[in-house]
Amino acid sequence: MDLGLIIYALNLAAIYSLMAIGISILWSSVGMINMAHGATFAVSGYAAWLATAAMKPIIATTFGNGALASFVMAGTLTSASLVAGALCGAIIYALAFLPIHDKPNYPVRSLIITLALNIGTVQGLLWFFGPRSQGLPKIFGFGRWEVWGTKIRYDQAGTIIGATIIMALTLAWLRYSRRGLEVRAMMQNAEGAAYSGISRQVTALPVLMLTGALAGMAAALLSQTIFVSPTSGVIPLLKGLTIALLGGLGSVPGAVIGALLIGFLEAIIGAVPFLGQRYVMFGTFIFIICVLIIRPRGIGGLLDDTRE
Amino acid sequence: MPEILEITQLSAGYGPLRVLHEIDLTIKSGERIGLVGLNGHGKSTLVRAITHMTGWQQGSIKLDGIEIGGSRSLGAGRRTPSLVKKGIGVAPQGDAIFPGLSVRKHLECGAYTKQAWKHRKTRIDRVFDIFPPLRSLEHSLVGKLSGGERRMVSIGRMLMTEAKLYLVDEPSLGLAPKISHRVMEALWALPVEGAMIIAEQNVKLLSDRADRIIGMHAGRLRGDVGHVELT
Repeated sequence: MDLGLIIYALNLAAIYSLMAIGISILWSSVGMINMAHGATFAVSGYAAWLATAAMKPIIATTFGNGALASFVMAGTLTSASLVAGALCGAIIYALAFLPIHDKPNYPVRSLIITLALNIGTVQGLLWFFGPRSQGLPKIFGFGRWEVWGTKIRYDQAGTIIGATIIMALTLAWLRYSRRGLEVRAMMQNAEGAAYSGISRQVTALPVLMLTGALAGMAAALLSQTIFVSPTSGVIPLLKGLTIALLGGLGSVPGAVIGALLIGFLEAIIGAVPFLGQRYVMFGTFIFIICVLIIRPRGIGGLLDDTRE
Repeated sequence: MPEILEITQLSAGYGPLRVLHEIDLTIKSGERIGLVGLNGHGKSTLVRAITHMTGWQQGSIKLDGIEIGGSRSLGAGRRTPSLVKKGIGVAPQGDAIFPGLSVRKHLECGAYTKQAWKHRKTRIDRVFDIFPPLRSLEHSLVGKLSGGERRMVSIGRMLMTEAKLYLVDEPSLGLAPKISHRVMEALWALPVEGAMIIAEQNVKLLSDRADRIIGMHAGRLRGDVGHVELT
């Protein structure tokens, strides 16, 4: 296995884990499978595109053409997609959580509502922006490093580093802040959390905004490699969901390990001459099915040595 | 003495099942009530109805004069956090612990009011004084503790704030006699300004200590026997 393959795998794993962590945290704390995660992804991509298109002339006149200008551009792009993702989370909270969270069958209802939101948003984007994909400015610049004879593109390195930083920040927030403690308590025992005075209505909003922002970050990073289009959220949603399942819905380390496994698996299957790219989906799903047959609780079940 | 809890005509259940039948119960400040009865006769449901954790309920519940009851057919647990903030401390049956949190983090979860969060260090110290075995386990995961230690953590979480009413559901459930005695001793030793209800199957653990023992049978309160001493 050469270094290029590892970088490619890590690149995939970074995007997938951002999506999978969001879905996983949301399911275990709020009890909602968020099918609108793909729509959040696409909307954040478009928000970043609109913001950078609007800011381009302003940045060009104020900062010129140097390194500072591209740094400001990078800030605009990521903050636009983060804010758009968080706003999408707030909208999902208002539409798919608040009205139904104390009704019977809430998980199924919220699944259906978020699925409807997903389809509606994608169609809305298609209607408004058209099916053409849009290219975003390259915030990491063009070019590549040579490391031991392998070429690493800037956007690949930037994606891996950016995703790692965001994930570290999220985990630190979960671990050290009071709100994070509430979220973790809710993930582990909803009833105990209620008896500790932790309200699901109140805590669901920051959780949805956080997971939306994670999807937004994934969109900002993936926009560096591929174009933004209305349906660009479908594959990340699918991969995020299946990896969250593989990681054992609710286990953050499980989701990260699952994303790494799937990233490497896809890179390897794509590189094997007689398999190639068209067998990537096939191979990963076979792998996930096999893992779930042997370990129904996913990878998180292997990591968990405590008992209920 | 003022009344801390005043329950009138409380019925509650789950779906088509009616567990509590028009219960009336009044508890005065400073009282420790022992609630005894067989499995499945509604002790836990009464505790859950006070905190709105049942499937449905109707009837009046007054906590320190403030109405917290009412009719409800949906939304189990929706009001529980706000009731807990109003001053009900609960140690639920089966502990409802967070297996992946350390003992310290677990206790911090209980400190939900602003005041309690500010003084959480001294409060955690106080819980460690009540349950000395927890002190050395401060940083171990609760999911790895023994049943008795989990019970201590669960009760300790309840004690992290000042509540007007403490509800302890089956503190001796599944514990070895020696450990359940220790847990009960700690409960009796607490300085209670409000009131405490202990739902318990083992009458012997309550004898001589509870101010009143109330029996429960088939969803109704049967017999309010006052102070009981078994030999």
